[in-house]
This record gives sequence, C-alpha cells and structure tokens, in this order.
Amino acid sequence: MIIEVLTGAIIAGTSVLYATTGELISERAGVINLGTEGSMVSGAMAAFAATAWSGSPWIGLAFGAIAGLLISLIHAFLVIDRKANQLATGLTIMFFGLGLSAFFGRSLVDKQINGFESIDIPLLSQIPFVGRILFTHDVLTYLSYLLVPAVWFFLFRTKWGIILRGAGENEQVVYAYGKSPKLVRYLAVMAGGLLAGVGGAQLSTAFTHTWIEGMTQGRGIIAVALVIFASWLPFRAMLGAYLFGGAYALQLALQGRGVDISQFLLFMLPYVLTLVAMFIVERKQRNMMPLGLKDVFEGGGN
Amino acid sequence: MKKLYLAMVIAAIMLVLSACSNEGSATESSDSSGESAAPGEGSEKVGFIFVGTKDDYGYNQAAYDGSVAVEEAFPDMEILRSENVPETAEAERVMEEMIRNGAKVIFPTSYGHLEPAMNVAERHPDVAFFHQGGLKNAENLGTYFGNIWQAAYLSGVAAGSVSESGNLGYVVSFPIPQVLLNVNAFTLGAQSVNPDATTTVAFTGSWCDPGQQASSVNSLAEQGVDVISQHQDCTKTVIETADRLDIKSVGYHADASTLAPETWVTGAIWNWGDLFVDMTTTAIEGNFKGSEYDGIYRGGLSEGVVELAPFGNQVPDDVKTLVEEEKAAIESGEFHPFAGPIKSQNGDVKIEEGVTPTTDELEAVDYFVEGVIGNISE
Amino acid sequence: MSFLQEKMRFPGSQWIVGYVLPILLFALFLLLQGVNPIATFGNMISSVFGDFYGFGEVIIMTTPFILTALATVIPARAGLVNVGGEGQLAIGALTSTIAAVFLIDGWPMWIGLPLLMIFGALGGMIWAGIAAVLKAKSGMNETITTLLLNYIAFYTLAFFVHGPLKDPTSFNWPHSPELSDSLRLPTIPGSRIHIGIVIAIVIAVGMYFLFKKTRWGFYLKIVGGNPIAAFQSGFKVNKLQFWALVMGGAIAGLAGMIEVTGIEGRLRQTTGVDYGYLGFLAAWMARNHPIGIIFTALIIGMISVSGNSMEMTAGLPASVVHILMALVLFGILAMGRKSKS
Repeated sequence: MIIEVLTGAIIAGTSVLYATTGELISERAGVINLGTEGSMVSGAMAAFAATAWSGSPWIGLAFGAIAGLLISLIHAFLVIDRKANQLATGLTIMFFGLGLSAFFGRSLVDKQINGFESIDIPLLSQIPFVGRILFTHDVLTYLSYLLVPAVWFFLFRTKWGIILRGAGENEQVVYAYGKSPKLVRYLAVMAGGLLAGVGGAQLSTAFTHTWIEGMTQGRGIIAVALVIFASWLPFRAMLGAYLFGGAYALQLALQGRGVDISQFLLFMLPYVLTLVAMFIVERKQRNMMPLGLKDVFEGGGN
Repeated sequence: MKKLYLAMVIAAIMLVLSACSNEGSATESSDSSGESAAPGEGSEKVGFIFVGTKDDYGYNQAAYDGSVAVEEAFPDMEILRSENVPETAEAERVMEEMIRNGAKVIFPTSYGHLEPAMNVAERHPDVAFFHQGGLKNAENLGTYFGNIWQAAYLSGVAAGSVSESGNLGYVVSFPIPQVLLNVNAFTLGAQSVNPDATTTVAFTGSWCDPGQQASSVNSLAEQGVDVISQHQDCTKTVIETADRLDIKSVGYHADASTLAPETWVTGAIWNWGDLFVDMTTTAIEGNFKGSEYDGIYRGGLSEGVVELAPFGNQVPDDVKTLVEEEKAAIESGEFHPFAGPIKSQNGDVKIEEGVTPTTDELEAVDYFVEGVIGNISE
Repeated sequence: MSFLQEKMRFPGSQWIVGYVLPILLFALFLLLQGVNPIATFGNMISSVFGDFYGFGEVIIMTTPFILTALATVIPARAGLVNVGGEGQLAIGALTSTIAAVFLIDGWPMWIGLPLLMIFGALGGMIWAGIAAVLKAKSGMNETITTLLLNYIAFYTLAFFVHGPLKDPTSFNWPHSPELSDSLRLPTIPGSRIHIGIVIAIVIAVGMYFLFKKTRWGFYLKIVGGNPIAAFQSGFKVNKLQFWALVMGGAIAGLAGMIEVTGIEGRLRQTTGVDYGYLGFLAAWMARNHPIGIIFTALIIGMISVSGNSMEMTAGLPASVVHILMALVLFGILAMGRKSKS
C-alpha cells in the first residue's frame, strides 16, 4: 500500500508540481498569479488540440506552454503596467481561461491522441521499492525531477536568480545590475504561465489523455497555496505537490480497502493536509515572504 | 453629506425598481389563459436543458443525441438548448426563459432539475414537461427513465466471465441511488457466473474529473482489479487509462468501443432518440394527458430505451451467447436480476426470497449488495 | 473616497478602455463565430430589460453577489483578502438549513426567520473564524486559507446532504428536506423576487455608514491603510483584522441563508456554487466601496442572466458567459487603480 500511495502521489502530483514551480518563480519576482488555473487549463486544451492535430505530443507540449504563457501575459500587463489588484486580476484570468478553453475545446472532447506514454527506465526502475515509485512514469514526470533542481540552481546560484529575487524583494538590486524590475517581473510571470501550461499539458496529454472543459478542477489554485506552504523554496514545493497528490492516492487506497470512513471526509483530505502542513511550517516562513508580495497580501485593502 | 444623499437615493431607486417588477412579473403564460390547451399542444419549439456539456461522451451526450433525433424528426421545429444548467433554482430561470421564447415542450434532463421543473410546471399548465430520472410527477409533468440496470446486469455477466481474478472495479461519482443500483446490478451479474466475484468501488467525488478518474483506475489496478466499469458523466478517460494498463473496461452511457477495441468488453448505453420523438409527438398532438408519458415512465431493454453496447474484439463467443441468453430472459420478463433474495454488504436481507421489487423500491436503493467493497457514507 | 465621484473624474479614454473596448472585443469574437453581435446584444438586453420578469431575475441573481462582495469588502478595509466567500456562503446555508430542519421546523416566521439569519451568519462566522484564528495565532495568510477552506466547505456540505441532512422522502437523493413555508423569505406575490435584495441593500448602506461614521470604521481604515504604522501607534491590529474577517464571513453566511430560504427552499450540494468568487470580483470592480458593489453586483447579475439567452438564441456554448464576464472585468481592471494612500 505504501508503494501504491507513493506512486499515486507522483502520478497525481506532477501536473500540480509544474504549476507550483511556475507560480513560485512568479511570486519570487513579487507577482502572485491566481490565474495559474487559467494558464493551466488553457495549456491543457492547447496541448491536447495540437497533439490531436499533429500526432506529436511534443508539438502539443510546445503549444500548451505557449498558451499558458499568453494567458499569463494578460496578468502581467494588468498588474505590472496597469497596477491592477493582483488577486482580483488573477481570479478574472481564471474565469477567462476556463471560458476560452471550454469554448475552443468543444470539438476535441471525443478525440483520441497519441500522448506521452509511461516508460519504465531500464535498470533504475528495477531498484526495489524506489524504482517502482520513481521510474515508471511518463517523460514529463522525469523532466519535472530535473526542473526542480534547475529552478533552485537558477534562483539561488545565478546572477539572474539574484535579479529575479531582487524584483520581489528590493528593486535596488535590480537597478544595480542595470536591469528594469518591470521587465524582470514580466519575464517571471511569463515563465510561471509557461510552466503552468506545461502542467496542464502533462494533465491532458500524459496523465489522462483527455480534454474536457474545466478539467484542472482547481489544481492551479492549489498550486498557489502550495507555494506559500513551500515558503518559496523549490524543493519544498516539490514535497508539497507530492503531498497533495499523495492525499489523493491515499484517499483512493483507503476506499479500495473498504475503510469505514465517509468518502466526503476523504475527499477533503488533500485540502486539509495542505492546510495542516502549512500550519506546521508557517512560523518560520513569515520573514521569507518576498517583500513585494507583502504589499499584495497586506496592503490589499484599497 | 452629498455622498450620504446619493447612497439613499440609490437605495430608494433599487427598492422602487424591485417593487415595480411586482406588477408585471406575473409569469403565467398569458396566451393560454381562459382556454385550457393540452400541455404542449401545437408547440413549435422544444427546449432541452442539460446539466453538463453535450460532448462529454456520456450522460449529457446521450440526452443531446436524443434532442438531435427530435430535431431530425421535426424539421420545422426549433430546438432550444441550454447546457451546464445547475441543479438549483437557476434551472427555473432557464426554463422560464425557454417558455418565454415560445417552447411548450421542455425536457429537463437531469434528476436535480425535477423540483425547479415542478415549480415552473405549476405556473405554466399549457407547457408539457418530460423530466429525466425522477419518481414524482404533476398534471403537466411526466418523468421518464430507462432501466439501465438491466444492461448493467448484463455487462456484469460479461465482465464476470472475462475476468480472470474475479476482482472487478467500478469508478463512481457519488453515493446516489442510480449509481448504487448500477453497481449492484453489475455485481449480481458477475456473481451469476462467478459466485466469488467482488466489485471494488472508487468514488471520485465528481461527475467528471479526468485526473481523479485516471488516479482511480491506477489505484484499482494496484488492487488487482482486471475489469473496470464506471458511472461517470464523461467516460473516455477511464476506458483509455484502463486500456493502457491492459485492463478490460465496461462502458456506460454511450458506445465507446472504438476507443479501446481490444480491452472493451461491452457497456450499458442509452437510446433516447425514439422515446424523445414519441414523447414530443404525443405532446404537440395534444395527447399528453392520458398517455403513458404523463406519469412515471420506465423503459428497458425490451422498449429499446437502454441497450447493451457491441462486444469488444476479445470477448469469446460463448460469453456473447451467454449474455444474449440472459438478455432474452430479461426482455421476456422471465428473469428479474433483483428477484429476491438480495443481501446487502453486511448480510441483511434487503429483498426477500420470491419478491420482485417495484420501480420505487429499486430506485430508492441505499445499500451495496454482498460482494461490493466500498463504503456508503451515512 | 466616493465611488461615484471617483468615476466622474475619469477622462474619456478610461471609459473607453473600461466599458467600450470589452464590448467591441466581444462583438468581434461573436463575428468570428459567425454570430450577429448586434442581434445577440439586442437579445441579451431584452432578456434583462425587456420585461419585469427578466429584470426580476437579475435582482434575484444580484442579491447573493452584493452580500458575498461585502464579505470581501469588510476584511479588505482592514487590509485582508477574503477569497472565502464561497465556503462561508456554503456553511451559512448549511447551518441555517440544519437549524430550519432540526431545531425550529415549523416555527412562526417572525421568530423563525431572524433565528435562521443568526444561524446562517454564525455558520459563515465560524468558517471565516477558522481562517481568522489561523491568521491571528500563527500568521497564516488568509488568502490561501480561505481558498482552501472553500474546498473543504464544499465537501462538508456534500457530507451533510448525502448523510445526516438527507431528505427521507427523496428516494435517497442528496438534498435536504424542504423548509416549512413559515421559514421561507416572503416573496413578491406571483414572482420569485424575495426580500433578500432589501436586506442586502440595507446591509450595504449600513456598512457605508459604519465605515464613514463610526470609530470602528475609522480604525479599520487606519489599519487597512498601513498596518505596521497602526500597530506602532498602539492599534490592536490583530483584533481589528480578526473581527473584520469574521464579520465578512457572517455576511457571506447570511447570503447562504438567503439563498436557501429565499430561492431554493432546501439545501443542495451545489447551492450557491461560484457566488463567492463572483462576489469577490464585484468587490474589486467597485474598489471595495460598499455602495459601489450594488452596481457591480448588478452588472455581474445581468451578465449571468443574459448569458442563458445568448446560449438559447445564438446557439453559443455556455462558456461564452465566462469569456464576456472576463472581458468586462479586464476592462475595468485595466482602467487602473486609483492613486489612493
């Protein structure tokens, strides 16, 4: 059962992981984007459509990423240029993405695609216990293993990482490097949208091989919550995404064993666990919130 | 002070406006007052409301296809459709809107549209309502459904026959009677060929969440299930995911055999078209009252309202023959899948030996039969 | 501060961005779909203003949006972002239904309805209170907690309508028993319009005075404007924020009670779904002005109601409503934020 739950955690958690990582980059630059849900669902639709037309999931992936990026560009324009409220804009973007993808995805619902298939990695998948859990997935899942360290390295070990974090913390840093904070924020939000689009693509072309309107079912919103749970740290975001996925898997595993708990209480499990986990890690993270975000969260009044 | 004044004026305007709407808001259809036209008579428009979107390879698709059959049968008829109509009082508004657009025949096609439809029906005695899936009716509102559990039983027979482990799975949404009835019928069907067969149930808490569906199939596969059926509004993901894991699947709502020809076993599917056309004809000719549709109508295999989907490529001939025999027995009425004794999960006798349940009893089911692994919240 | 005066000051270009451009964009979108935009807009307008029935439906839709918008406005005054109107409404609907079914079934209206209002408000308060306690005790961000609590509220409500609250005469279908007639909000005879709109407007106007005229409102403004400075000047920031969030929850809970007693007559799994989010948007469209939200809620109500006619007469899918609503909101958001302290 442990293997079952952990494998299920990765299967269900990967799409959320991409979106969470993207949102993390965006928030590090001081922009919170509830529109991640909109980017994700648009990415799912575009990736599925492009895969259906071209026959190649890689082309689908590219379209999904671009769709997520384009949606997030609206967010970037409104909050960076027009100084609109970040949370309200994000929520609007969510509705927009849901509506747009539902509208243009209508003819796709009964399409069958050749999406990303699970590939057992030779040798590695033979490792007892761990092999089964980690190395029996689709390519996008494997890429996500590489993405997280890459983002960590970028944020904390490169010049551009310092600049990006500067945009969220202290604009002087950005000026010191001769860059424009506005441009950096734009790029960060776009990177966030792109990764959310990839997350959506993973959901539609690798995880489920399905497009149906609204199929993200709040996963993009969860991603925003997980970033805060993660204290804006990439590896902790990974843990959060798998925790969330694991709660899904655990819920199903318990059901399958006829455990006498109301399924409605089990359905709450992923959300309650996220809340509890946030509660546990909260105390340390207050001073870790990028200063730029504090304005959004605490100055949100008017 | 100016702002204060403004605020008061605004409040006053709103109040006046809402009070004004009183005078003209009589929602009774004015054109029929006096004359008591038969419900739906002479209607030139037919309205359909759906709880989801039409193309979900499932419940709403089946009902939508029915509306298309009406469209084809009456080329001059205008068809009004509204999708994603929630099962709340919002449905009332949509139906009123359809009536204001001239529809006198309305199909609310989800169970939860019943109460809103009852309210609207009371206000519009000249409009005929055909509601899908209820157990209550009114003067001008009939409710219809199909005995899809008959087909679910047959697919259970097929599933039990092709399963090697005897472990079957069922991906379902919520513990509501339609769901429980199908799971029970399916399990009884499987047990008729393999008395030890069990059905493991996975609730998704949603009518259509492909992510949850895929996770459910994976989870059931881990638990050793080798045939999976489902009760979801969108059915494609479960069938395809099972296919990729080389697990056999049984469909629901619509024939999806082309999605996975090798692992597809069969499925319980709807055929609303002929019924919808007949109901529409009855209403517009003014014969609603006194027809078989003015109360609680149930059609099954023998009426052609529900069907068994074509078999998949890998289903052996002897299984096909067996299922066809059972089907003939159900159609002729010589066999009833829920004829007692039927025991619930914890061994209580729910239907006594020699008793055949009525439609009301069947459709108010609140238990799983013996052999189902799963838990209904109480 | 006045919402209306604020608008007056906008130069013409702002108005074009905010209102004209979204409509033109949507018209273009309709054209690309082969739909006549003028006829469609005409249909939408006539479905809303064509007769009193249509406008009455707008009023019905607007009522919960005003209240869930207020649930955002009050915490926003104190510098908090409450995205939990959705869950607070659901729990308010749940607690008032539980009270109506188990505690005061059949009680006379004069006592029953006020009690139900209290129960509904209490439910919303409890749900917002969870987030408020988490915020006060361990500094957890209320935006995220209220969002997560929405999901938990949805399943809590589902648990009750599938379990303890299930109507025994409903053939095991998941909804509560019907409320007794005495516990239904009075309606205008012959229509579905109930007195909820009056309650909503009275509360909105009341909030306006509370913010303007009372010490509490003044404190809130100080705290919302600059919490750190307020803290340093000796304001009990935590306490003020706590009660602002809880009061917001109470009003959202009341919206749930009004939805159940005014419109539905019973509790269903999907009662009030999306109303919290739409109210949140109404609040930001009006820049958290308690009178302004009456109008923005009305706009959202009109789009929601006219969307169905768009679907029926132009054959467009339901999702188009979301697109139109988002375009209008983008326009308003793009008008920019006022340069306020």
